Amino acid sequence: MFDKILIANRGEIALRVLRACKELGIATVAVHSTADADAMHVRLADESVCIGPPAARESYLNIPSLLAACEITGADAVHPGYGFLAENARFAEILTEHNVHFIGPKPEHIRLMGDKIEAKRTARALGIPVVPGSEGGIGSDQEAIALARNIGFPVLIKAAAGGGGRGMKVAHTQADLLTALATARTEAKAAFGDDTVYLEKYLATPRHIEIQVLGDGNGRAIHLGERDCSLQRRHQKVLEEGPCPALNAAERDAIGNQVARAVRDLRYLGVGTVEFLYEEGGFYFIEMNTRIQVEHPVTEMITDIDLVLEQIRVAAGADLTLEQSDVKFHGHAIECRINAENPATFRPSPGQILHYHPPGGLGVRVDSAAYQGYTIPPYYDSLVGKLIVHGKTRTECLMRLRRALDEFVVDGIETTLPLFRALVRDQDVVDGDYHIHWLEQFLERGGFHE
Amino acid sequence: MRMLKRLPMPKEKLALETALIRELAALLDETGLTEIEIGQNGQRLRVARQTSVTRVVAADGTPAPAAGRTTPSTAVATVADLAAHPGVVNSPMVGTAYWAPEPGAKPFVEVGSQVKVGDTLLIVEAMKTMNQIPAPRAGTVTRILVEDGQPVEYGEPLMIIE
Repeated sequence: MFDKILIANRGEIALRVLRACKELGIATVAVHSTADADAMHVRLADESVCIGPPAARESYLNIPSLLAACEITGADAVHPGYGFLAENARFAEILTEHNVHFIGPKPEHIRLMGDKIEAKRTARALGIPVVPGSEGGIGSDQEAIALARNIGFPVLIKAAAGGGGRGMKVAHTQADLLTALATARTEAKAAFGDDTVYLEKYLATPRHIEIQVLGDGNGRAIHLGERDCSLQRRHQKVLEEGPCPALNAAERDAIGNQVARAVRDLRYLGVGTVEFLYEEGGFYFIEMNTRIQVEHPVTEMITDIDLVLEQIRVAAGADLTLEQSDVKFHGHAIECRINAENPATFRPSPGQILHYHPPGGLGVRVDSAAYQGYTIPPYYDSLVGKLIVHGKTRTECLMRLRRALDEFVVDGIETTLPLFRALVRDQDVVDGDYHIHWLEQFLERGGFHE
Repeated sequence: MRMLKRLPMPKEKLALETALIRELAALLDETGLTEIEIGQNGQRLRVARQTSVTRVVAADGTPAPAAGRTTPSTAVATVADLAAHPGVVNSPMVGTAYWAPEPGAKPFVEVGSQVKVGDTLLIVEAMKTMNQIPAPRAGTVTRILVEDGQPVEYGEPLMIIE
C-alpha cells in the first residue's frame, strides 16, 4: 500500500480523497494555489505545498510543480481527483517515469478513451452497443450526406477531440448538415486545435445512463449498477440518481454484465464510467470516463462500497476482492450539485459564505469543502458542494431530499439551492419522467423563477 | 508550506502559540541565547532573536521599536512580515533551495553581498533541474530566509535585498 498520497486537486474532491486516505492510514499531501491557501483540504491534510498562482494552468495543471511537490514531500502516489490532470495520459506516464504511482487507469486506456473515435471503435469491438454513425472522422461533405441519409435525420456532428458540448451541432435536414459541419469544424479547430468531426444518429429524447465499473488491471472487473444523469444544462449534469427510474432489474443486469465483461477484457485498472444514451430500450455508448466522477456518491450510497478507497487499493496493486455477487443494491439515492450561481441566470457568484449550515439526519450526506467564512475564489468551478440523500424507496428519498434542501443554508453568495427545491416538487421529476433535454425545456418555459 | 505537521484551526493556533512564544521569548532574554527551537506532538516552533536594522511592523500596523536593538521575533511572525517586505525575493517555483552551485562550493551570496540585477542568488532544484534564481533588483542581501537544502513552495520568501 502507499505511504503518502499527494492529492493533485482542490475543493470537495480533494477532501473526498483525503477522507479515503485517512481511513486507509495513508499520509496526505495537499497542494494548492495561492488562491486556495485557506481551503479545507489544505487545512486537513498532513502536509501542504503551495504550487503556484491562482491560474490553474500555472498551479493545478502545472506538471513540473506537482512533481517537485512529490519530490520534496516524498509522496509515493498521486490522486488526480476529477478534472485538471485526471485524464491526462502524459501526466500518468511522467509520474511513472519518476517512480510515483498514478492513481488511475493505465495511460494507454486514458489515451484510448480520450479519443472519441477510438473509444467508440473499441467499445464496438468489446461488444458494447454504440450509436450508429461514421466509423471515424468524416471526410467530405458528400460522405456526410450519404451517411446521414442512411442513418436518417436528425444527425449529430461532434468534435473528435471534444467535450463539454463544444464542437457539437444537430442537423435536421440536408441543408442544416452542411452548415453544421462547417460550424462544428471551426469550433473544434478553435477549441481543441483539431477540426476532425464525426457524425452519428441523433436521439430525440434519450436519457443519460452511465454504468460504474471497477477493475484491477489483471482481468478482474465488476459493475456497480447505473446512475441516471439526464437532468443536465449545457451538457453539465445537475442532478443524478440511482437506480435509474426507467430500468428494471433484468435490463440493469444485462447492460451491467455486458459492460463489466468489456472492462474485464480490456484489463482496465481502477474506477471508470461507461456513459450511454438510452432511448426506447436501446443503449448507445457515448464515452468512457477514466476517473472517479463527481456523482460517484450516488453509487456508494446504494452499494455501501467506498469507490475511492477501492480505487486506491487497486492502484497499489491489490487484487479486486469484490465479486459481482458482492454488489447488492439497496434503496435509492439522489445527488444535487449545489453551485455558486444565480439559480435563474446561472451567473457565477463567487464570494464569502457568511452563514453555512449543511443538512443532517439519517440518509443525508454532504460532500463539500465549504465552511462558514470561506471565500469561494473566482478562478475555478462553481461547485459549492454535493447533497446526496438516500432512502429505502425513491419516494422516501425524494421526501428526505425535499427536507434536506430546505435545511441547507448557504448565505452570502447565490446558489442553485432554490432551483433544486423547485425541481424536487415538479411532477415530472417526482415521476422520474424526464430526458436529457427536459431541464433546459423546463427552464425555457419558465418552470423556475425566483 | 506545512510539512509533516498539523496546522490547527487559526484561533486555536493563535491562542496556543502566542502563550508559548511569550514564554520562549522570555527565556531568550533570561539566558542570553539567540535561538530556541522546540518540538512537540509533531509541531516545531523556533524563536530567534536577531540584530536587525529592518523595521519590524507589528500585526496591527504600528511600527515596533527596532533599529539597532535586539528584538525577539518568531519564525511565524517573521514570515508574515517578510512576505510583505518591499525587498523580498519569493520563490518562483516548488523545489529544493541550495545556496551554492554544488555541495561544499562557495554560496552564490551571503548576508552583506552586493548584487546586480540578474545575479544568481541561489538555486531551486525541481525535477533534477537546477533553476538559478536571479536577483530582481540591485542592492545588498540583508537576509537569507531559507536554509541550504530546504524545500520551498511557490511564493515562499527566499531572501531580502535592500
